[in-house]
Amino acid sequence: MKLTRRSFIQGSAAAATLFMVGGLHAAQPKTSAIVIRDGEPASPAKGDWVASCCQGCTAWCAIEIFVQDGRAVRVRGNQLSKANGGYVCPRGHLIPQQTYDPDRIKVPMKRTNPLKGRGVDPKFVPISWDEALDMVADKMIELRNNNEPHKLTYIRGRYSSTATQILYGALPAVFGTPNYFSHSSICAEAEKMGPGLTQGFFGYRDYDLARTQCLVIWGCDPVSSNRMVPAAIANLSGIIDRGTLITVDPRLSTSATKSHEWLPIKVGTDGALASAIAHVLLVEGLWNKAFVGDFKEGKNLFVAGKMVDEAAFAETETNGLVKWWNLELKDKTPVWAEKETLIPAAQTLRVARLMAKSAPQTAVWMGPGVGMNPRGTYASMAVHALNGLLGSIDVEGGVLQTNSVPLGAYPKYDAYLDEVTKKYGKGKKIDGRGDKDMPAMMNARPGSGVVANNIANTMLKDPDAVKVLLSSWSNFNFSCTDPARWDKALSKLPFFAHMVTNASEMTQFADVVLPSTFNATEGLSVITNNGATHGFASIQQPAGKRLWDVKQEETEVCWLLAAKLKARGFANLYDYFATEFKDPETGKTASNEMEFSEILAKISSATMWMPKEPLKGDKLSGWADFKKKGIYNTQQYTFKKGWGGKFNTATKKFEFFSETMKKGLLEHATKHQTTVDDILKVSGYLAQGDLAFVPHYEPPKRHGSLKDYPFEFVDYKSRLNREGRSANLPWYQEFKKLDDGDVSWGDVLKMNPVDAKKLGLKTGDTVKVSSMAGAIVTKLKLWEGIRPGTITKAFGQGHWAYGRIAAKDYAKAQPLGGNNNEILVDDYDRLSGSTARNGGFTGVKVQKV
Amino acid sequence: MPKFGMVIDLQKCVGCGSCALACKAENNTRSRGNAQSYNWADFISKTEGIFPNTKHFTMPVLCNHCSEPACIKSCPTEPTAIFKTPEGFVLINEELCVGCQACQQSCPYSSPTLDDRSLNGETYSVLSFNPKRRPTQPQWADKVAMIPGCTASGVETAEKSGAAAPNLNHYESENSYAIRNQNVVEKCTFCHHRVSHGLQPACVEVCPSKARIFGDQLDAGSEIAKILAKEKTFRLQEDKGTKPNVYYINKYSPRA
Repeated sequence: MKLTRRSFIQGSAAAATLFMVGGLHAAQPKTSAIVIRDGEPASPAKGDWVASCCQGCTAWCAIEIFVQDGRAVRVRGNQLSKANGGYVCPRGHLIPQQTYDPDRIKVPMKRTNPLKGRGVDPKFVPISWDEALDMVADKMIELRNNNEPHKLTYIRGRYSSTATQILYGALPAVFGTPNYFSHSSICAEAEKMGPGLTQGFFGYRDYDLARTQCLVIWGCDPVSSNRMVPAAIANLSGIIDRGTLITVDPRLSTSATKSHEWLPIKVGTDGALASAIAHVLLVEGLWNKAFVGDFKEGKNLFVAGKMVDEAAFAETETNGLVKWWNLELKDKTPVWAEKETLIPAAQTLRVARLMAKSAPQTAVWMGPGVGMNPRGTYASMAVHALNGLLGSIDVEGGVLQTNSVPLGAYPKYDAYLDEVTKKYGKGKKIDGRGDKDMPAMMNARPGSGVVANNIANTMLKDPDAVKVLLSSWSNFNFSCTDPARWDKALSKLPFFAHMVTNASEMTQFADVVLPSTFNATEGLSVITNNGATHGFASIQQPAGKRLWDVKQEETEVCWLLAAKLKARGFANLYDYFATEFKDPETGKTASNEMEFSEILAKISSATMWMPKEPLKGDKLSGWADFKKKGIYNTQQYTFKKGWGGKFNTATKKFEFFSETMKKGLLEHATKHQTTVDDILKVSGYLAQGDLAFVPHYEPPKRHGSLKDYPFEFVDYKSRLNREGRSANLPWYQEFKKLDDGDVSWGDVLKMNPVDAKKLGLKTGDTVKVSSMAGAIVTKLKLWEGIRPGTITKAFGQGHWAYGRIAAKDYAKAQPLGGNNNEILVDDYDRLSGSTARNGGFTGVKVQKV
Repeated sequence: MPKFGMVIDLQKCVGCGSCALACKAENNTRSRGNAQSYNWADFISKTEGIFPNTKHFTMPVLCNHCSEPACIKSCPTEPTAIFKTPEGFVLINEELCVGCQACQQSCPYSSPTLDDRSLNGETYSVLSFNPKRRPTQPQWADKVAMIPGCTASGVETAEKSGAAAPNLNHYESENSYAIRNQNVVEKCTFCHHRVSHGLQPACVEVCPSKARIFGDQLDAGSEIAKILAKEKTFRLQEDKGTKPNVYYINKYSPRA
């Protein structure tokens, strides 16, 4: 409801008169003891809402920023956005503070201390952009001259979904290095394996929450973090009212508190619970007949412990149901699962029935907690397969694939590849993907998935592998597990140029620092994503004036660097940029970095505001209209996209028996002249034979014995994390208590009081948490939101650099609290290449300090 | 004459903090210091039950804009610096406030000074005091650069931005100014500067779950009046007789 100004004025006619007079007016006596008098004149701030994109997490919400006198002041969701309904989560509101963080790097800087290491002062001094780019260009040209362009490595952190094609695409390709890496596999990639290997969709699912009747939140807390947070917040209460909310999480998340059923599963046993639920759905005949099919004779032959004849069942949209039953499910009763999961069999049974009751409007929303562990691919498959059994795939209220957004493509660079580029540009990447023990079969293609966290291991083994590192918006020395490896690797690196807004942990190892725009308020690009059944393209554009001498890393810096390379005799990159990129309206080419940046944004989006054929989504009248509205929404998702034999799998069906995976693993085994069984063994999985191709439970791999490291550890993300970049903001610290059970301006390890009593610990104690990887020191809080034997802490604090609020003492490299990554062992879900960070793979111990 | 009030739906609320952050942005409230929070919108929370029957509650809190406000009764100035308007706003006139902090002592909801318990969601304050001879926006009064010559300072950032605070939301008000002075108490105004021009309070406008409903309790057609007529509501510390105009409905957890 909007209050009308008229109703207010009508209600206080006297006030309106007095506003004009101004000043104080006499108090009027009232019947109560309280004197009532009119308020003094007041009016809201004047300014304009400028459309942009948040990028504080992976939802990439379209937003609007209130700009007053060239300053970015406040934030709201883009009022036209269908994905977020015009709202942002708390992350968006942190944008002004992040823009005006006093610890931002305001000018390029170079290292003057040749020694590198954690806690070693780089002794940065300010330099000009000219000098900074000269330094980078000189190092790059040296590689070209020595015929080793592949020793240039680029690692991206947060990026623009379109502009990235310059720094992540054109630059390495034209320069001649295969070594360009995204950060994605340290975040959540393993969860893509479930939908990928069953339905051929290696992506983050969308949800039709407005029509979901039963939502099962599994291994994530979508009202706090991880994907379409505003939509999750907006829809949760409606689901509670009309249906059932269920949360599977070892810790009491907000979603868990809000749920009718909380299943505080033993860490890493998600696959066991999923198999038991699947078992119940089958033995009780609760599977969705329309999607899965039925027994030819009509009688349910799924009886616990009994094999079933494959020929007896006629599947419709799926493949291999009976194989899955025979290989995995027939003995996986709730009673069996209770021993693994510690979830009472009665609750598993009850939950399975609740899920079936609302199906197919039951959505299992799986998050990284399920898959980001050394055997996570199978857990991810097991949990996602429930959506298949329930028929929730691609239906209203169910679990959806995503809409494609009609982005414009950049011109081809093939004509700018020279002999050196062709010789070195396609070589083996240094992240180990495709090695025998690292299938990394994202998109079902072995060797195609990035193994970001493994780069440090290669650098440590072969110090000559990387001679020049470029990296943007990244902080691997904080965000990767066992970051001490990155400290060591980067300490030995000959040359590192970091493009960031703040002097992060990783920046401490840089030779030159190119200060980045803070892109939510200062960058220009086009960002695409999906949410709430719509795809969208959001502009990201300058909302306030830049205060500092900063440049956008993926566009402006690339242009300027290309010019420097041209001045040194390598003209291909600059010529490509300056010749091929033309303004889609005027046909003009760029003459400077700012024009280049605008042309890139226009090419990316012209397909939506200047379409050749009318589009089914929003109608935009031109570039100015797109900039003003800030968003193009696609039409609503087309339901049942994959039904009728159109899934992108080997059988074109939803695969309970994954022929897609079998094909990929066979290809990988053949390449290494061995068997699939051998590949699985060396990659750390337990399955052998056909079990490897169906969703199934594998007990969690654990680093550290129960004797030495008795606790399981649960890592999760703070709801205020703008990835790893917001801990330096006072508002982050002030409201840290909103992470359930947490304490503001601090960092607490949460432990069940039963465990604390045994160890003689109490709330407020300073404790050391150690694992085989390392140790952190933080405060303890006793909390009933976690099971005895398991401890938990939010990821977000523990910075020893970044800024004066994030770190306890920046100059002395003293952290505020502890970084969870310090205690997490460097390991992988090798089928996806993802870094393990969940699932209890690291045992820990806790001692009072 | 409208009578403004607010309803907070605890089932819809997920304790995300958007309201409190939007409040800080809208009203330029400074960061914690002097045992004061300067959070006009804040939260209390508690964890109840023994594992696995555990629930964790978060409850948004703010000035209740009481119909019988203890704060006004305690205000010694004449006319009172803290006062109630005919529409129900409880406001502070900064020019009249003498910084005696009697209001902080008298408000049954506000802790006059905050200790570590407030970091845990156990206590909060409605009213915050800006002491004498101390900057009211200390973040922007800091002259130190973390990396000299390379990173900025608070002062430099503010100067470059051209405003007293770089993200200053410069609204107009003759009650509490957009940036408060020293030696005055500050608190939630129900966004008087917005509401008096037909806008919703900032905390209401941004709530992603639409948990906050603000409006005229006397207008039978308003959403708030309908809720008050239909739903079971409660207010904080009703026994104190302050007659709050902030109401709560529903339960934070369905398991409660």
